Order: sequence, then C-alpha cells, then structure tokens
Amino acid sequence: MSVLARSVGNAFRNKIRTAAVVAVLAVAIGLALAMLVANQAVGAKVQELNASVGTTLTVNPAGGQGFEGGGEPLTTAEAETAASVANVTSVVGTKALRLQTATTGTTDTTTGATAQQGPGGGFGPGGQQATVSTNLTAAVDAGTLGNRNGSAGTTTGTTGTTQPARTLPITATGIGAEVDSTGKALDITSGSGLGDYATAEAKALVGTSLAEKNSLTVGSTFTIQDKTFTVSGIFDAGTTFGNNAVYVTLPEAQTLAETPDELSTMIVTVNSMENVDSTKTAVQDALGTDKADVTQGQRNLETAVSSLDSVKNISLIAFIAALATAGIIILLIMVMLVRERRREIGVLKAIGARNRTIGLQFVLESLVLVALGSVVGAVIASLASGGIASALISSNSTTTAATTTQRGGGLAGAMPNGAVPGGGGMPGGGQGGPFGGASQLLTSVTASVSPGVLAAGIAAVFAVAIIGALVPALLTARIRPIEVLRGE
Amino acid sequence: MIVVKDLVRQFKSGDRTIKPVNGVSFELEKGSLASIVGKSGSGKSTLLSLLGALDKPTSGDVVVDGVSLAGLPDGKLTEYRRRDIGFVFQQFNLIPNLSAVDNVMLPMEFAGVRKAARLQRAKELLEQVQLDPEKHSRRTNRLSGGEQQRVAIARALANEPKLILADEPTGNLDEQTGEHIIELLSSLSRDHNTTILVVTHDRSLAQKTERCFRLQQGRLTEEVRTGSRR
Repeated sequence: MSVLARSVGNAFRNKIRTAAVVAVLAVAIGLALAMLVANQAVGAKVQELNASVGTTLTVNPAGGQGFEGGGEPLTTAEAETAASVANVTSVVGTKALRLQTATTGTTDTTTGATAQQGPGGGFGPGGQQATVSTNLTAAVDAGTLGNRNGSAGTTTGTTGTTQPARTLPITATGIGAEVDSTGKALDITSGSGLGDYATAEAKALVGTSLAEKNSLTVGSTFTIQDKTFTVSGIFDAGTTFGNNAVYVTLPEAQTLAETPDELSTMIVTVNSMENVDSTKTAVQDALGTDKADVTQGQRNLETAVSSLDSVKNISLIAFIAALATAGIIILLIMVMLVRERRREIGVLKAIGARNRTIGLQFVLESLVLVALGSVVGAVIASLASGGIASALISSNSTTTAATTTQRGGGLAGAMPNGAVPGGGGMPGGGQGGPFGGASQLLTSVTASVSPGVLAAGIAAVFAVAIIGALVPALLTARIRPIEVLRGE
Repeated sequence: MIVVKDLVRQFKSGDRTIKPVNGVSFELEKGSLASIVGKSGSGKSTLLSLLGALDKPTSGDVVVDGVSLAGLPDGKLTEYRRRDIGFVFQQFNLIPNLSAVDNVMLPMEFAGVRKAARLQRAKELLEQVQLDPEKHSRRTNRLSGGEQQRVAIARALANEPKLILADEPTGNLDEQTGEHIIELLSSLSRDHNTTILVVTHDRSLAQKTERCFRLQQGRLTEEVRTGSRR
C-alpha cells in the first residue's frame, strides 16, 4: 500500500468526522471561490468600462452647448493639434447633419413654422448641424415630447394656428473612424463598415429601426441632398433614438454640409485612465479655452467604477479571509490528528519510517480532505456566487447609484448631441446618458463560474492547505519513536 | 552478535535523578533466544528502547555486528531500526485500519522493497506465523489478540532483522495463546537464525529461553542459565 493509498484510507478512518470536516471546509472553500468569482466578474466589468469609454474626452466648440449654441466651429487643424498632445492615442472628428424628410420640409415651409429649428439657429451645438434633405422617413414618431419641443422652438407667432403633426429629423453623423458619436465601437449587425473613413464615399451605415422603417437592407440605396447612398451596413446602437440615425464618412458629411474642414466634435482617446485628467487639461490648453470646451466622459463612470472597485476590494479581502480560514481549519484538524496518532507515528518510526514519509502521509491526508471540500465548495460557489455578487454590489451601489444617475442626467445635457430635437435628447439622455446609468452598470455585472477562475481558486486553496498541513507534518518529525512504548 | 557496554539512561524528575538503566553490560550470540525479567518499573522497557534505538542512552554503547550505535545521527538510527531490528509489543501496535498483509508489508515498503516482492513475502510470513489465510486481508482491529500478535511477529520479521525485541509479547494474551506465541518465537529464532530478546515479568516464559537476565533497580544483577531449549 503506497503512501497515497494509506493517506486516502486514513482520511476516511472516522467517516462522521471526515464528513464534518469536509462540510466545514466546503463552506470556507465555497465562500472563497464565490468571492473570487465575484472579484473576477467585477474586475472584468471595470476593465471593460475603462477600456470602452473610460479614457475618452469630447471636444466641442467653445460656447456650443445644448440649445444655447454659439462660437466658432472646430477645424481639422485643431484635430491635428489635439492629436499632438502627450498621451493622446487617437482623435476622431465628427460632423453632425440633420436629415429632413423632403416632403416634411415642404409642409413646414408652407405653414411658415420654424418649429424644427431650435434656439440659436436650431442646429444643435453651436448651430453647427446643417440640415439637408433626404428621402428617408424617421423611425421615431414625434409624440408628446417631440411636439412639445417643436412648440418651444417656435420663435414667430402662429398663435391660434393648429400645429401640423411633426416628423422628427434623422441624425446623420460623419465620422473619421468606425465609432459612434460618443467614441464607442459601432455594433454592425449586418453588412460591413464604410472602409476608408477618410475618403468621401456615397456609402452609409443605417440604424436598425431606420432601416426597418424604410425597408432598407445592405445594398439598398437612399438619397441625401439628391445624392444616392448605398447601405454598406446596419448597426445596432442599443437605443430607439440611436437606431434612428445614419453614419457616413467624415469627408462626405463635410461635403454635404458644404463646410469642408469643419468638425462638430472631436473624440479624443487617452492612453490610460490615470492620464485622463492631465490630458484633458493639456488638450484644453493646446486648443485654447476660447476655441474649445473639453469634457470628460470618464467622469460619468467614475462613481460607478469606484463603487465596483470597492466591491472588488471587499470580495478580494473576503476571498483571502475565507482562504485563510480554510488553511486554519486544515491546520487545526491536522494538529488534532497528529496528537491523536502520536503512538501510531511512534510505531511507524519504530519500524523504520522516515520523518519525510510520515510528514508526506499527513500532507496527502489533508489534501484528500481539501479535495473533497473543494468539490463540495465548487458546487456551493456555483450556486451562490451570483447571489453573493449581487448582494455585494447592491449593498455598495444603493447610495452611489442614485448620485451617479443624477450626475449622468446632467452630463447628458451637456453632451454635444443633446440639442438634437426629439424625445430622448441624446441616446438615453433622459435616463442619464449612455454612461450615466450607474445602477444599470452595477447590476449588469454577471458573476458566472468559469473553469479558469474555479481552477485558480482551487489551486490557491490547495496551496494554502499545503502550508496549513506542513506545520502538523513538521510536528510529526518531533515525535520520538519511543512514543510507541508509552502506555506499554 | 549484540554487545551492550555499560549502558546508562537517566532522567530528571524534579530534584531527583532516576536511572532506570544503570551500567548494563551483556552480550548475545547470533540466533540466541534470551529474556530479561524484572518487576514493573525495573527498567526493562527502557533497556529495550535503548537496544532498539527508540531512545538514546545517557552513556554507554550498543554494538550490533561491530557497528556502534553511539553517536549515530537520527537518519542512521532510523535505518538501523528499519534494517536490523524487529519489534513485538505487548499491545501489538498494528495500524488498525490496515489489513494484516498491509501491516506486514509496511516495513518492507519503508525499506524500498518492490510491491510484488513484499506482498509475496508478507503472505509467506503470515503463513509461517500460522495466521488463517482467510484473515490475511482482514483489518487488524477485527482480529483476536493472539492473531494480532502473530501479525506483529510477522511484521517484525519482514526485513529479516538481526535482532527481534519483544516487550511483554504475551502480556495481553491468555496462557494458552501466550504459550503458542513463545513457541513461535522460539522456532523462528531457530529457523531464521535471528537473535530474540524477550522482556517479561513472567518467570515461566523466561524459563523457556536459553538465557535469562534479571534486571533490578536498573542493574543487570543476575544471569540464570536455563539450559538448552533446542
């Protein structure tokens, strides 16, 4: 019988005690694994958030905020200036257009209403959204909000006149890379991107709801300013408003707006989260406060990420504590077993067993108990990790989420596209903007038990168990063989 | 040949110094069967633990086939116990959750004997000590006292030791079973040419050995030749 077989046999000498030890170990190991799973899930979410939007800055023309537009437009030269600032990895320019359905425009003209135009020229931030005609029909109905916005925008009296039903314009954006107007990668669900975004081409990406409304598929055509565009791909922005939009290449949009070299916004990507603050200041200084306003998308996430970070820290501490508990349990159990088997250890030494053989036997016995505890613990973790992660996150986000949602709402109003008439402001703006919904971010963390995390956790448990078992194993070396004669 | 030279073992007990073994010297020829008799507390088990390298003497030496145990490091003493010594204890001291065969195989496993070889030898030894083959695979805690002592004797013989030290081997057995065990030890000593030293307080048991030593207050005070047993 080998040392291993003897160790396995010893682990089951007293089945009731073994079951009790395994149960206690399983709880500790299960908790440790659940905490590790929660930690990994939250860590991955933080990384994802930081990677996706956490390091972008948005540059608007100075004075061009919301409906109160004004100031001078941004230029491609300023984009080059921003790109030369330290820690800036990329600068993507955008050119916003407003597509007005040709027939609707005619109706408005005949009624003399200027309802479609906002204050300050009605062209969004800085009045820089050029209105161009299209044969597309908006996928969003004006509804109460749209009609209310339209009424608020009326600057000349039509008192007593019944306003015609409004049709919302369609947002078109010229972009310098395959990202949306906030800098997030476009989710193209069918077809392909626009290819070279630095060239004027009659190709477009169309939002899912707009494509559906106008029966467009990849390869279909539509017109903007009487120019025929081919649908290159269809994207999903994730919101109803966001999907009522069109993307074309930046030069194409500049050509349509007849404003070459002008930009509506610039999306500046910084190389790391740590450098965002300093880079924001540097970009602002480089462009001049009278030329550009630089806003920080990261701020929207800061509270949410901070909350997630605290959950991550708590779960890490709990993981270490549970791991240490498992180690202490093993240590105490094995010390107890060594004391209980002093005479047997004496017998083994009397018949010629080396200290290391006996020590190894006890370490292996402890590992058998840990292996059983790990199996049961893994089952516990797979059942409980989701609930534990949710409990941790909800307990940490109750206060934070409320604060973050408020902040998100405020920031959404300050985003460049916030001036676009319609029910939603900018995509999701009414609900706190795309990054403002901290509560959604927090609750969207999915703690699933992956084999990799489980294996890493169990490896850590085994490492701690070996350390815990080494102490009693070393104790066996101190037991003298004459113990065998005790009580003889 | 076993040579014991002026062996002393002393302990401190409060202010007192106790010498359970106090200047013991004797020699044993290879293949002899000897006994040490004495009252409880006379130092018999202490002397046995010194001969078996379970404990270290305060002074003096034990020389086995020309090799002195004095000053040997722990590793070498372990090797000595494994290779040259077989123990038989009053309370058998078998590993309770192992079978009879596994118990007999243990010393051979520690000596690095291959599994097949040690299994075969363990079975042979259990047959020699006349343990019912049906009980070879039985856990030792399910065997009677006499059967357990037979397994213990088989285990003591496993590595063909030069010296078997038996501490009250019949102390936990009834008279008839004790007789059988003594006959077994005697025949094994003869068949294997192994030196056997039995520690006992049982005079009748001592009468059956070739040589008998009396231990009184730590001293080997008397040697009684009991006559040939063979």
